[in-house]
Amino acid sequence: MSAEEIMQKFQEAGYEVWVKEREAGVKNKVKRKSVWIKVDREKIRDAVEYLTELAEEYPHFSIISASDEGDEVELNYHFTLGYGKLLEEFVVTFKVALPKSDLKIKSITNLIPAAIFSEREMREMMGVEFEELPDKRHLFLTKDFPDGVYPWRRDETAPKETNKLYEGWKK
Amino acid sequence: MKYEVPIGPIHPALKEPIMLKFTLEGERIVDVDVIASQNHRGIEWIGMNRNNPVQSIYLSERICGICNFCHPACLVMAVEEAAGIESPERAEYIRVIQGELERIHSHLLWAGVAAHELGFDSLLHYVWMVREKVMDILELINGNRVTKAIIMYGGVRRDIKDEHIPKIKRMLDYYKQAFGKLAKLFLEDKTIKMRTREIGILPYEEAIKLATVGPTVRASGVKKDVRQDMPYFAYPDFEVKAITPDMLTGETIGDTYDRIIVRLLEVKQSIEIIEQALDEMPPGDILAEPKIIKLINQIKKAEGEAVARYEAPRGEDIHYVKLKSGFEYLYAWKVRAPTYINILSWRPMLLDMQIADIPIVAASIDPCLSCTNRVVIVRNNKEEILTADDLHRLSVKKTRRLLR
Repeated sequence: MSAEEIMQKFQEAGYEVWVKEREAGVKNKVKRKSVWIKVDREKIRDAVEYLTELAEEYPHFSIISASDEGDEVELNYHFTLGYGKLLEEFVVTFKVALPKSDLKIKSITNLIPAAIFSEREMREMMGVEFEELPDKRHLFLTKDFPDGVYPWRRDETAPKETNKLYEGWKK
Repeated sequence: MKYEVPIGPIHPALKEPIMLKFTLEGERIVDVDVIASQNHRGIEWIGMNRNNPVQSIYLSERICGICNFCHPACLVMAVEEAAGIESPERAEYIRVIQGELERIHSHLLWAGVAAHELGFDSLLHYVWMVREKVMDILELINGNRVTKAIIMYGGVRRDIKDEHIPKIKRMLDYYKQAFGKLAKLFLEDKTIKMRTREIGILPYEEAIKLATVGPTVRASGVKKDVRQDMPYFAYPDFEVKAITPDMLTGETIGDTYDRIIVRLLEVKQSIEIIEQALDEMPPGDILAEPKIIKLINQIKKAEGEAVARYEAPRGEDIHYVKLKSGFEYLYAWKVRAPTYINILSWRPMLLDMQIADIPIVAASIDPCLSCTNRVVIVRNNKEEILTADDLHRLSVKKTRRLLR
């Protein structure tokens, strides 16, 4: 299944989808494609299930990345599809926006077991609560890291004390 | 009776602080738990809050000393896509050569470590002696053996000059000769075969389910290689093919031995790629925008996001970057190193194995983790401290036992 087919299928299912391209190669020019899909947070499991259904091989889960967008936290679930074939792989990203007043989303570990590290990381770095996540320990931060401090946020919950460590730091 | 053996936070088989908790019944491993929170440096935080994008290149070089080209290359790829920067053709070729030189030295480093874990220290010293040749070339063309500071947004910082080429070719010839000997030492040796065949098996389905990457997944028979599937830089010109162990032995088991085969064959593949790249390298500029201030301003004005993927020696690196117009730092930056996802595969590999197999199996995914110390055994609620040497001795003992 190609990037365009995935785009079409998801569009038919009512998702907002766009495709980005980037050229690579010098003599043999190829296009590296990425598909971006906007997903409501209630639908994240449906979207992952649908993707698994469409993909010939089991979709390869890469990582969840996040950014703080003011009132919202945006999560990006990155998958890759079509591996094993020459020049046919592409990236599929599910974009999910969560309001800061209610940072909750269903865990996808029941569908993709490899997502567990990523969800644990997002939980501690961004303060997103993953429902039904089987393991809620810290992953990278220490056990005694204070509650309510989320290093990757850009609001009042970001760590402030750490900044003092760096002399000559501008802020 | 069950008891727990924590390995780490610091241990020689794991080159970075991480803790593994094993539950054992006698010598048999029945459960494995990974505790990663040992030393978090907050590199992404620094990139998002303190460094400008150019400084972040040098910072990302320090994510891993061995993959010191992969991470900056991946970051540069992401930022170039998000900001719409193109790099000259010659630079794309130099990037390929740098990447492959790094693969050679990284795989040889791993081969030495694997030999050491098995108690073959003469082989360790031989492999690392062989590795010095590529390190000399890295020093020659970069001025530094590690943290080479070669890549930049829109190109590379140093050219490969005409006088370098014969020296690089001489190195490649040396490796072609050495390859036969290395393959013989690693693949035909009876003891190495006994210690690695059918040890730490990762089946095909499990490898895919756990999203394993790099030589670890290829050794399980999955033909997955970013250079083949979604090539970047000048890689489409080379038509790289993913290497699986059946190319040599005709079968795929997915054990530690297969992971040795994949890495050895990849060294050979890298030599071929470098040879072709040197012959076909186009002339021209190496940097699109030599003025750094101008470059920083261009990135500062840019708006966009991108995911970049790079086939590092250990597997696939992924960097996600988001840029906001007027924002001085990277607005969002997420790094996923190959080991991040590969450590999940330790569990299926280690279940039902013996304590003495821990070092070689843990090392077989080539974890990018940092150095030495002790192990605590909690037995009947009493703590006994096993030093790294003790654990290493257990592994050597098993080799000796098999030799008899």
